[in-house]
Amino acid sequence: MSILIIPCLIRTKWDINCLQRLLISVQNQSKQFDKVYVIEDASPFSYSLPFNFIEHIRLSRNGGPARARNIGIDKALEQNAQYLLFTDHDCILDKQWNEQMTLFLSQTDFGAVGGMTYSWGKTLLDYYHDINGTLSGKWLLPDKKELWYMPSLNFGMKAEVAKQFRFDEKFPTAAGEDVDLCLRLRSKYKIGFCVKAKLWHDYGYKNSLSGFKRFVKLFMKYKSSSATLYEGHTVLLWDSSESIYSGNAHVTNI
Amino acid sequence: MSLIYRRKFNQSSLSHLINDYMGEMVPFSKRIEKKRFLIPLIFLKTIEWSIYRWYKSPVRRLYGVRRNELIYMITRRCNDRCSKCGIWKTPEPDSERINLKDFIKCLQSLHNNLYQVTITGGEPLLFMEDVLHIAEESRKLNVPMFVVTNGSLITEDFLVKYSNFEHILVVSLDTMEKSKWNEFRGRNHYDKVMSNILLARKILGDRLKIQSVFAYETRDDIPKVKTFCDELGIQHTSQPYMDFGGVWHDANVSSLLDNDMVCAARKNICVYYNGDVVKCFDHLRIPLAREPLGNILKEDIISILSKKRTTEITRLMKNCNLPCKWLSCNIPEPQFLS
Repeated sequence: MSILIIPCLIRTKWDINCLQRLLISVQNQSKQFDKVYVIEDASPFSYSLPFNFIEHIRLSRNGGPARARNIGIDKALEQNAQYLLFTDHDCILDKQWNEQMTLFLSQTDFGAVGGMTYSWGKTLLDYYHDINGTLSGKWLLPDKKELWYMPSLNFGMKAEVAKQFRFDEKFPTAAGEDVDLCLRLRSKYKIGFCVKAKLWHDYGYKNSLSGFKRFVKLFMKYKSSSATLYEGHTVLLWDSSESIYSGNAHVTNI
Repeated sequence: MSLIYRRKFNQSSLSHLINDYMGEMVPFSKRIEKKRFLIPLIFLKTIEWSIYRWYKSPVRRLYGVRRNELIYMITRRCNDRCSKCGIWKTPEPDSERINLKDFIKCLQSLHNNLYQVTITGGEPLLFMEDVLHIAEESRKLNVPMFVVTNGSLITEDFLVKYSNFEHILVVSLDTMEKSKWNEFRGRNHYDKVMSNILLARKILGDRLKIQSVFAYETRDDIPKVKTFCDELGIQHTSQPYMDFGGVWHDANVSSLLDNDMVCAARKNICVYYNGDVVKCFDHLRIPLAREPLGNILKEDIISILSKKRTTEITRLMKNCNLPCKWLSCNIPEPQFLS
């Protein structure tokens, strides 16, 4: 039984379009999810979704993506889910995403899994993210047999892992909370990489020039979480890892 | 990263900067297949590298929201001469003291992260006006405040003003016996302190607390202090004796010290009377953390807390397992908050 959890904070019409596009890709999966939770994190923008296969959970106050995902985790565990998968509203799933993620988790002893993330847009900035591996997992060096961490937009874990490790709600925004979770759960479990579980992430760049400000803000947001991360995980100071991109995605000894 | 403290830790050399930059750029450039994009992509990577290197995070994201206690040792001076403590033996000269506005600035920078600010010493009420000013500012910022005092300098005027801010006053009391008072405190003001406690109870109500030091010397006195507090409806806590230059002895509570409770003092941000910042007043017991993290007169408090060395000491403190972890400042959650 696999359950998909999507936290979302809808601020603009673009966000709604993204969410609808994601849910269409969810609908078109080769292997359907048993449940799909869309956790609405008290968005300032009201909207409705024309999809009857989702459970739309509306939170009364905004608590950040970590809290929204934790609420989804609680509900999924109540439903006795075996595999809990996570993505974000601005992603598009490959048809086989669920199939590949659950197959990987069921056939290996990894506690969690990350998939292959590509940029949806075609600007230079999108190309940058693709080769930089901005939102891809990180290989643990030197062996590249497992992941150091995996961003939560393309992430899944077994129920036994989710019961023990939850997102830390002290991270107020979508930055760092996924890295923190991965580094904690690695104390007991390994995170694997499934290159066949593909998804595309829309960074929202209209073109390379107008998107530059958004590009800078993105990294400022990630940097903002780094002190919290370092406080909890000093091991990051010796971060011996390599971000995944198409050129090293298959260099796997798993 | 070296754990050996370097005074100029944050001042990296040019060669270190170049090595760091090239260490990022060379592997990245090898990933670029479309060579016509080499320069713009290297430019973008440089932007990313610069942000990670120099952009300072908003304080709210440093340690989460309201997870820290700011402790200000406002002075080393004291009007008592307690045998349990040696801090009073080395009072600071006026020239070493920071201005009140420097601490207030620090408080304002951090208030979103604080669940509590604590004023300690020495005897804080030697600087009564400063304490009231900090109390007023803390109230404006909605941060609960604690003042730990020996109780001898309390006045009705102070209590009335302090009660307006709805903060907590903690009075230190180790014995109920007048005959032991001089031996414990080195001053003959038993009657004064006891009457001040009664007055404070009347004016502050539940916001008065009493704290005792549990030592070999006070093992028979603490139960009597507890009874006294119970009769007056005052919350009482005790903490084991620690060596701060005093001559008392611990009460051999070895079962406490063997406990594997995690040290929570890493949540603390401590500022000395001279502006030096440490993570814990006792962290000099950690051999590699004997120097302060910085000084708020020379650096912004956020910069001090953002240093890698601060992070490293914080990590060391988590498992330091020193006896001082039993002090009240190590309690993970707010202690007396109503």
